[in-house]
Amino acid sequence: MIKTNENNEKIMMQTVLKAIIDGTSQVILGKQTQVKLSLACLLSGGHLLIEDLPGMGKTTLAHTLAQVLGLNFRRSQFTSDLLPADIIGVSVYDRATSAFQFHPGPVFTNVLLADEINRATPKTQSALLEAMEEQQITIDGETHALPKPFFVIATQNPKHHIGTFPLPESQLDRFLMRITLGYPDAQSERALLKSQAGRHSTTGALIKPVCDVNTLISLQHAVKNVHVSDQLLDYLQDLILYTRTQFSTGLSPRAGLGLRLCAQAWALLEGRDFVIPEDVQAVFASVVSHRLAAENSEIAKQILERVAIR
Amino acid sequence: MASASLFKPRYFTADYWKRWFRVASSHDNVATLNPRQIYILPTRWGVLYAFMLILLLVGSINYSISLGYYVTFLLASLGNIAMLHTWRNLVHLQVTILPANPVFAGDAVQMQLQIADTRNRARYAIAAQFESNSIVTEDIAANSSQTFLAPLQTQQRGWQKLPRIKLHTEFPLMLFHAWAYVDCSQQVLVYPKPSANNIAPPISNTGQTGGKNHVARGDEDFDGHKTYQIGDAPSRVDWKASSKGIGMLSKQYSGNGSAILYLDWAETSGLAFEERISQLTRWVVDAHTAQQHFGLRLPHLTLPPNNSEAHYHEALKALALLD
Amino acid sequence: MPKALLRNTLSSQHMYWLLASLALILAIHAPNLPIWVTASCGLFGAWRYFAVKQLLLMPNRWLLMLLSLLVGAAVLLSFKGQFGRDASLSLLVLMTVLKLLETRVIRDYVFMVMLAYFLIGNLFLFNQSMLTFALSIPPLILLTATLIHASLKSPQNWQFLLKLASKMLLQSVPVMLILFVLFPRIPGPLWGIPQDAYSGMTGLGDNLKFGNISNLTLNTSVAFRVQFKGNMPTNNQLYWRGPVLWHQNGNEWLMPSKRIGLRNEILATTGAVFDYTITLEPHNRNWLLLLDMPTLAPAGGNFTHDYSAVSNQPVRKRIRYTASSYPSYQLGVALGEREQVLSLQLTEGENPRAFELVKSWQSLSPEQKINKALQMFREQPFIYTLRPPILRENPIDEFLFNTKRGFCEHYATSFVYLMRATGVPARIVTGYQGGELNPNGNYLIVRQSDAHAWAEVWLQGRGWVRVDPTAAVSPERIEHGISEALRDSSELPLLARGDFPLLKKAFFNFDSINNSWNQWVLGYDDKKQLEFLNQLTGKKLGLSDLVFWMTGAIVLVMLATSYFLFRQVKAKLNPAQQLYQQYLRKLKRVNLQPTTGEGALNFASRAAQLLPSYQQQILQIASSYNALQYSEQSSDGVQPDMLKQLENLIMQLNIKKP
Repeated sequence: MIKTNENNEKIMMQTVLKAIIDGTSQVILGKQTQVKLSLACLLSGGHLLIEDLPGMGKTTLAHTLAQVLGLNFRRSQFTSDLLPADIIGVSVYDRATSAFQFHPGPVFTNVLLADEINRATPKTQSALLEAMEEQQITIDGETHALPKPFFVIATQNPKHHIGTFPLPESQLDRFLMRITLGYPDAQSERALLKSQAGRHSTTGALIKPVCDVNTLISLQHAVKNVHVSDQLLDYLQDLILYTRTQFSTGLSPRAGLGLRLCAQAWALLEGRDFVIPEDVQAVFASVVSHRLAAENSEIAKQILERVAIR
Repeated sequence: MASASLFKPRYFTADYWKRWFRVASSHDNVATLNPRQIYILPTRWGVLYAFMLILLLVGSINYSISLGYYVTFLLASLGNIAMLHTWRNLVHLQVTILPANPVFAGDAVQMQLQIADTRNRARYAIAAQFESNSIVTEDIAANSSQTFLAPLQTQQRGWQKLPRIKLHTEFPLMLFHAWAYVDCSQQVLVYPKPSANNIAPPISNTGQTGGKNHVARGDEDFDGHKTYQIGDAPSRVDWKASSKGIGMLSKQYSGNGSAILYLDWAETSGLAFEERISQLTRWVVDAHTAQQHFGLRLPHLTLPPNNSEAHYHEALKALALLD
Repeated sequence: MPKALLRNTLSSQHMYWLLASLALILAIHAPNLPIWVTASCGLFGAWRYFAVKQLLLMPNRWLLMLLSLLVGAAVLLSFKGQFGRDASLSLLVLMTVLKLLETRVIRDYVFMVMLAYFLIGNLFLFNQSMLTFALSIPPLILLTATLIHASLKSPQNWQFLLKLASKMLLQSVPVMLILFVLFPRIPGPLWGIPQDAYSGMTGLGDNLKFGNISNLTLNTSVAFRVQFKGNMPTNNQLYWRGPVLWHQNGNEWLMPSKRIGLRNEILATTGAVFDYTITLEPHNRNWLLLLDMPTLAPAGGNFTHDYSAVSNQPVRKRIRYTASSYPSYQLGVALGEREQVLSLQLTEGENPRAFELVKSWQSLSPEQKINKALQMFREQPFIYTLRPPILRENPIDEFLFNTKRGFCEHYATSFVYLMRATGVPARIVTGYQGGELNPNGNYLIVRQSDAHAWAEVWLQGRGWVRVDPTAAVSPERIEHGISEALRDSSELPLLARGDFPLLKKAFFNFDSINNSWNQWVLGYDDKKQLEFLNQLTGKKLGLSDLVFWMTGAIVLVMLATSYFLFRQVKAKLNPAQQLYQQYLRKLKRVNLQPTTGEGALNFASRAAQLLPSYQQQILQIASSYNALQYSEQSSDGVQPDMLKQLENLIMQLNIKKP
């Protein structure tokens, strides 16, 4: 009996996951890998950094994901005059009650799109990154918990334009993944160009949520239950050790944990209840590239080609 | 052991010396280095090391230092062991030569060599090179293969036979240099070197030359001026602009994708044989870059116009093998 | 000679390894170097370290040349122009470390490693103890790892390097042992040996002054070891004869000049004989110590006229010799004129009170005179001590009548002085007395602290008779050794004392190992080699036999080593992995092999693309293998049915070459 229940649950889960991917991929054409990666990131409960040139659909991806997952979505365009209070909220004196009233900022949402995060001052950046780490905000000695789940999808422009504040390496570690979107292939481009609505379709009612907060939380729980065998841990350790011998700063233990979690999420997306080396390899570049201060995923690829699977 | 096999008497026959260096030859582009194909000699470090050992030995004798003998003998034995390690680092490797993509003469082909361990031991710092080309060094994990991108400089158009590959290593102590040669039957196609001459491809408009050479279409959109060059059709010269005393100017038209171009051997008359090929190659490359339809007319071969990738390579191959 | 693969880039990792190796070697060499040399080496090393860290610049060519000149001059000054062993080591070390400051490419790096190997070999010029031997191993491993580092393409972690280096050195041990035992030993030296090479050796001098022997007594290092064949003499028979002193010159007693040409004394022996073998520590003098009285001089040596044995060469390495001695003997019954004059010689005008004293003995017979003197030592409050007061003018008077505190040299010299003053021919014999039996090795250890001086008196009809005045003052010294004789044993160094039995026992254990070490490792020279091999084979071996056996043994060992190196190591595989290997072998036949880091699934997809007709089978095998390797059930233990399924799948896979 229990087994059937489990199986049913599994099938349910896979259906939901498929629906999420399909729903998102309908809008973000030809980017199934990136969609899956960002989904894996969110299922692992991590924050996502999307790095690409303007107009590649970064915002669209973030927005669509939030909608498909049925989550609250707030967008905040980061600028150089943005203050920490504009993000996390502010306490305002209320005359009627003659007390301070907390006015929550855009951070009080499930999915926060921090657009062009590198335009804000380091002060504002770190206020956000703190909130990401703690999952709560403390103002005037009062602690306000952020809604659960809470994701930040930050976008940044890879080219260091004048007047930007690139995230320091230590802060980059807070993001579980960094992905780039890249140009669409010819076919998708064609489809995109053909579509009457173009990008505006994202804001419309076209996208139906296929999931709710509770389902998402149970999915996150399922990710943690994906089995990681000792052999696979050997492989993970080999990879981590290799980066430590080859780079001046190798992968941190946090990065290692993140890598495991993402691999678990990927395995779940692949419909497996155990992790295989290919899962690790699929998420490897996105999880480690920014931590190894690598410009692109080429280095991650080289690492994978040099570390043998045991 | 190589050193032991060297002293078998039959290796002292004249027949042996003729083919002094045994070469691992490849079948189906796969070659395995067997023990007899490995050569090993001390490096200059090996000689220096031996010299140091002699100094230590003489010192030990002179001062009657028993422990001096110990160090000398331990290090001498270490050198010996290092030789075995160096040798074993190379032996039983399996080399697969992957087919190469053609290149233009004068460029280097990046040959892909897949070198695999067959003995369940990791190999370190294995170097590979095509003779007189630059060296690539890689490690190979136990029971797996590693791709070596070995550059090979090309000179002449046509089929080029691959020179023998030298695999060598000095791991672990650099005292010995072990090497082996791999012969491969493979050939690599080398396209002619595109001419550096910037002679424009012979484009004419309406049948002034009567379709004999080329039919060009879609040359309606005025694109700009360029300085007149011999061969430009008079109808293309912008007489109005040229009259302003700034030299002859030709009008250039863009004909994206829609122009059909016939590149004819006859167009290049007046040049030497190789230069003609070179010039045609340049035009083929330019036409392909511009995604133009083009046809090629050679003494014994005519390729109808097309703008596909396959057509491009076919044209280049025809030019490469022209004689 | 093939040109070495030169990769010119030196990473900071390389430099750290090199610096660490050199630092270790320098640390072990530190006792052999003047402090300023060690300090400047440390300084140059630190400079290079900070240059790696890019906190300092490397010196340019001119500065380096200037430094080299300075350092050379400093060495010349420091050693006062004596360019011997110590100076050349200092120079070598300094130049090595200076070379470090221009090490930028692999070529210099490897050269440095070679120099460092050479420095390790030089360690044993100074000291060949077991400790030094043990200390030489870590730098050998570290240095070999450093060299391996240079040959690598991509850097490996330190465990890999150290493991490989240790493994290779271990593999080198068998051939090293063969060479050590069988390589024909050539007796040195091939050329001159620097003067300072033996500065550290201690032992008996060729003269006697107050304070000489008591200083030596504070030194517990071993003078020689004795192994008796059969009977052992009693403690009071253990007089080890060294130089005999005849000539008195104020405070100092000297050996007679060879120019005097004293006649050889004649020895007659009777009674029991003791056969023994002595292993003599090097002391840079010629004395070969023997038990009173030996009949034959050891090989390579001969007797002086007064029957102390000397070797032809100063003893600069540990030597072994056998001898036989007779405790009852008659020596030099006939005393020549010259000998008589010399054995009565005294500097005039000194020690008036001693002459005063012996005036009353004039009428006595020589034997009575001896007894009189000994009686005086015995009955008056003379004290045996290692810390006698300092004696200045008329030392014999001062000692006999004022201080009355002294050591064997005081008693021996004053006794001989008194004898000569009263007309009895007498001389001083220096050497060692006693020794300590090591219960572990059944041999006697004689230390520098057993150094002793006694007297010989010539009596009509009896020849030279040994008289030990110390025995009159302190019979324990002769019967039981020096630790018994001193009331306050804290005057003695720890190992010479009797009140630490555990320490003593540990020492005996250590010393018997050390003795074997000295005999078999350090003393393994051309003679010992042949002796050992003859004993081993029962035949008389020559040089050519040695070379033959050596070559044969090396070839055998190398073959065995090659076998172990070249045999195909089977990785420890679990059942699923074994099956997977089978599958890989099948695919290898069609030239499909996984690349490094290519998982089962990826490899299968690649293979399936190239072999479309087997696509389904291959992918099934991969997923089945993955489930066995990575799924939750597989962690619970072996899954027989899943394994069976994989086995069947692989069995059914029959790829035909296209």
